[in-house]
Amino acid sequence: MKMVPPWRLNQLLERVETGPICTERDFDLRILYPKLRSLIKEYDLKFDPEEIVPSDDSLADDLWNAAWDLYLDVGTLCLSNHRRILFEESEIKEAMRFSSSEITVGTGRDARRMGKREIEDTRTPHCILSPDITCDEEIFTPYTIAYLQEPLADGVCAPILDTIEGIPIKSGSPMEVKASIAHAMMFREAARRVGKPGLNLQSVGTAESDAAQIAVSNPEWGARPSDTRFVPSIAELKIDYSLLNKMVHFHQYGGIPGALFGPLYGGYSGGAEGTALVGIAFHIMALMVNQTYWSLYFPIHFRYSYNTSRELLWVLSVTYQALSRNTPFISLSGGFTDAGPCTPMVLYEAAAHGLASTVSGANLWEIATAENKHKNRATPLEARLACEVGYGSVEERLKREDANELVKGIIAKYEGKLGNAPLGKMFQECYDLKTITPSKEYLDLYEGIKKELGDMGVPSI
Amino acid sequence: MTENALIERLKESIIAYDEDEARKVAEEIVTADIDPLKVIEEGISSGANVVSDKFESEEYYLPELMLAGEAMQAASEVLMGGLSNEKRDEMEARTVGTAITATVFGDIHDIGKNILSMLLTVNGFKVIDLGRGVDSMEIVQRAREYKADIIALSALMTTTMPSQKEVIDILEAMETRDEFIVMVGGGSTSLLWADEIGADGWAEIAPKAVELAKELVEKRRRG
Repeated sequence: MKMVPPWRLNQLLERVETGPICTERDFDLRILYPKLRSLIKEYDLKFDPEEIVPSDDSLADDLWNAAWDLYLDVGTLCLSNHRRILFEESEIKEAMRFSSSEITVGTGRDARRMGKREIEDTRTPHCILSPDITCDEEIFTPYTIAYLQEPLADGVCAPILDTIEGIPIKSGSPMEVKASIAHAMMFREAARRVGKPGLNLQSVGTAESDAAQIAVSNPEWGARPSDTRFVPSIAELKIDYSLLNKMVHFHQYGGIPGALFGPLYGGYSGGAEGTALVGIAFHIMALMVNQTYWSLYFPIHFRYSYNTSRELLWVLSVTYQALSRNTPFISLSGGFTDAGPCTPMVLYEAAAHGLASTVSGANLWEIATAENKHKNRATPLEARLACEVGYGSVEERLKREDANELVKGIIAKYEGKLGNAPLGKMFQECYDLKTITPSKEYLDLYEGIKKELGDMGVPSI
Repeated sequence: MTENALIERLKESIIAYDEDEARKVAEEIVTADIDPLKVIEEGISSGANVVSDKFESEEYYLPELMLAGEAMQAASEVLMGGLSNEKRDEMEARTVGTAITATVFGDIHDIGKNILSMLLTVNGFKVIDLGRGVDSMEIVQRAREYKADIIALSALMTTTMPSQKEVIDILEAMETRDEFIVMVGGGSTSLLWADEIGADGWAEIAPKAVELAKELVEKRRRG
């Protein structure tokens, strides 16, 4: 029986208070940035736009070794007290040796295995479905049910409320606590209504603050110990007291914390190579600082918040290959599309994300759309396609080199529109809110694109 | 070294985001008694434009942008230090405007705001960056303290957008709303939201926000 995380909780929390003092600017520009540049040079890391899903194991291992050096050298910055949290090599090795590569989420007959995957794994990916976006409170329940009823959903994350009983929710205010409790109650009830009372309900998106997260922990009406929870990180390789408060609570309560991080391509990590290195280092931080069993990883373009370009799919692919070959880490690849629902482009992007991620060794978290900033603008259909393609790639025993050619073929259909993608439609325009079924228009489009992808050789179920 | 060669060296040091070199060249420029206005225009501003273009084309990323900003700052401090009061006033009058930037209360996401701060700096604004998760009253007080032209408020999450409105509410309650241009931005915001809360401007991405900031300051100055 593996017993990490938590890894030596008191030791970590003490270290948070005793690490070297460092300003955020120095951390970003004088510690992280030069180290990244020197490692990229030392390991001769290069993004190749023709090898989006590379088959080169040595590249994956070089990335892992470079990220290991990076994290040992840089560590994590705690913004609340301006201290770096640093670890010895032996400490990280100890934590990795005793960490779990497989966990159970959910409960009863709805319990599911969530495990580490290998490159070209013959096991299907664990799939969590999520719109990742705010919604009108009037449609919260049908919106949530639409995701819960998807057969491939091993877990669901509900849309986020930004009003409750018509009153705007301000982060950090008492209204956030009230709304988060309402969210948890409605989410639990929706799961019961679809006949999946024990399903893992990723909890609770409306609860941004530590106080609100703690308030929704309740085995009867709220987040159960069998549900997954988030201990987010701050870009890049940063944390604060509020996030650590969540971590301590989740371990005391008995939940299944997962880390959440999206390194920004174009931000402090620079280009594709640096973003991949920071992404891998974030996974080490997840174990040591966030103290989590699993991670949701979503590198995105700093300006447009998608990850379906060549550069970002490469970042995802090489990150997962490096992790698969060198760690026991369980990680889900979060998709972010540029286009919105009910457009051909969003379906192409979803397919490319599901395919590149699954073959490279990831589980799936599908899928934020329309640059993840437009209310009500995501549906289960594009998430379904991403997961179906992931499953198909496993059934077909797809190899990386085959996946690479297929992904390039899919990308050719949309990459000219990245940065200027169609906004698409809102959930309530794509689904009948009474029957909670997709519109004929979107269903026909989904079937058509799925057939087109199949004709190209892209497998799905 | 000739006057033009020194100015060109300063420009190149900014493009190469080399703070030490920028400071050193600026000291040589002060010793050579070259017209600081010419140095600002042909050295610093010209170098900043190149950096800005490289960032736009993704040849440079955020660290290079920020380091170039530090090089500009270092050179400017040296040049300003060597000036008479009269000349310093003349130089400060050439600043495009003063901007307070902040990520609002409850929001820890500050990279978009950092990009905006640096782009405003390289485009000639004096920028006071208050950081992330900043209390609304603190933003208003600092804007008054610095006699800012612009208050630029970033919010990534829908649930932190109300804090943008809160800043405007405080300005109105203190009867100082007319003294400032309030711009809002960030992942979840929109033009509709900006109009709804009575902001003066909104832009989807930082480079567009800089253009808008210039327009709004210019419009205000024209009355």
